[in-house]
Amino acid sequence: MAYIKDERPHTIMVDGDWQVGAYRYKAPRHLEEFCAGLKEKKIIGSLCPGCGKVIVPIRNICGRCHCRQDERLVVSNHGAITCFTISPPVEKGKYKLFGIDAVDTGTLKVGEIIIPVFVRFDGSDSNVNTIIFNCDPKDVYIGLRVKALWAKELKGQLSDMEGVEPI
Amino acid sequence: MINTAIIGCGQTKHTARRRDVNLSELVAEAVYKALEDAEMTIDEVDAFIVGNMQGFGGVAQPEQWIGDWIGCPGKPVIRIATGGTTGGSVGQGAYYAVASGLYKKVLAVAWEKHSDSKEPGATIGLAHVGMGNLFHAFKYGLSMKNLLATTVVGAAAGVAVYQAKFYMHRSGATIDHLDMVAAKARRNAAKNPYAHLQWPNCQPEDIAKTEIIAYPFRYGHVCPASDGASAIVVAEESIAKKKCKQPAWYLGLSSVSDEENQLQSENYGGVGVLDPSEQMGCRISAKKAYKMAGITDPKKEIDLAEIYQPFPSQEMIFSEKLGLFDEGEAWKAVEKGETDINGRMPISVSGGVNATNAIGSSALQRILEAALQIMGKAGEHQVPKKVKKTVSHGWGGVTNYITVTVLGDSPRR
Repeated sequence: MAYIKDERPHTIMVDGDWQVGAYRYKAPRHLEEFCAGLKEKKIIGSLCPGCGKVIVPIRNICGRCHCRQDERLVVSNHGAITCFTISPPVEKGKYKLFGIDAVDTGTLKVGEIIIPVFVRFDGSDSNVNTIIFNCDPKDVYIGLRVKALWAKELKGQLSDMEGVEPI
Repeated sequence: MINTAIIGCGQTKHTARRRDVNLSELVAEAVYKALEDAEMTIDEVDAFIVGNMQGFGGVAQPEQWIGDWIGCPGKPVIRIATGGTTGGSVGQGAYYAVASGLYKKVLAVAWEKHSDSKEPGATIGLAHVGMGNLFHAFKYGLSMKNLLATTVVGAAAGVAVYQAKFYMHRSGATIDHLDMVAAKARRNAAKNPYAHLQWPNCQPEDIAKTEIIAYPFRYGHVCPASDGASAIVVAEESIAKKKCKQPAWYLGLSSVSDEENQLQSENYGGVGVLDPSEQMGCRISAKKAYKMAGITDPKKEIDLAEIYQPFPSQEMIFSEKLGLFDEGEAWKAVEKGETDINGRMPISVSGGVNATNAIGSSALQRILEAALQIMGKAGEHQVPKKVKKTVSHGWGGVTNYITVTVLGDSPRR
């Protein structure tokens, strides 16, 4: 059933742009510790004294039992896939972030298929949302064993771990 | 607490683009339909509860735009914005205003006008809900490719796709069950004159023909972006009984915001650091709402559910979390047709959010549609059995905020 259009001469349509300004947020510093670990190819998690879970990356407060997580643990570089999805082949103009095309910036290549995954590193209880590389879409399954894939140059930042790859 | 009921419902036709109206005209359409249904004039309304998803329509102070149009100058106005659940919170806000004894008759209206934005909701709307956490991750050098891992599968779909995969792996549901739920939503929507994606007699095979956009979601699984508004009139017991033959009484309600299911939590951990299909917030709020309503066994006592299910997997996940089915069993009920319009536990017989999604309005529509079923005014999509108790659910915030509202055919005692 199509909506029957009414004539409404008392109002008009006008165009407008809304530029969003800059912000300054006050943020916690616990990711600094995590990034320092990445520089040494170590994945650091935090141990919750309330529920005993090890959360990767580090958290300050547990989202479930709201305890302070002060203790740090190094977990394995190896883990297993807990969840995945498969993107359609990348097309130009389809993936924009803040108005910038990911193909233009070279972040994605036309025709590339991305497999975003959740990984549970051995010794941790949480999922890390990242990408699996060197893996054919038809070979990925839940439980697939993977290891961290490190960047060539380690800078002590989140991008040091590019993603994971099958063992 | 004062017994409170919904005595009038009004909604606009939902479509992709309502370019013939502006925001105020759209909202006024729903408001005047609700007043007509309640057989009231605007002068009789004591206070207004209004809201839409913040940022989506590009209007910062909508109550100023719509004020004159819905007749609220000089009267108390409360604007509520809780993201995707805004409508659920607006519906609950109306209850608080009346049950507290502050006002006798309240009008609640929620809306969304997606088509006013060139990229529906995306730029300011969707970006701003995760902005603070995203900038935090940028500061520590999050790679663009990893960030795009979320956007390549589509922002909101990207959140739900992981949730769906977790659920399917855990419960044994398959992509066929997603087809069944989506086909049911389109089929039911065809009976609802206000719904957006209407497809008479849609079958799972029709949905299965659509392409996969992000495994396991097909194009046919995804909700539309709609323009539309919905409004309810809420009144206290003495007025409700006088004005309305069969009011829909508020029996219980609750809302919970669950940090574990935040879109980007403080460690940029993504949705559901532990399990995105766990949805503890829904379980807790359902428990509290049922307790308030005096419901001990929702499986037997609830006659109908309106679930906020932009993606078909969510209808199964949340129906379990609302206690309507055992954990991991909802897909079996879908297979047996128990959730159909003439089934044992009809779910989203209006077509639900999967067929109509005007974000701010969506969760209020769940309350409104449940009320219509109790009042017996749903028309072609009225369920054949007598509806005594219903549950309406809302999912939003970013991905963390849950509202649960229980309505019934007789007041709380």
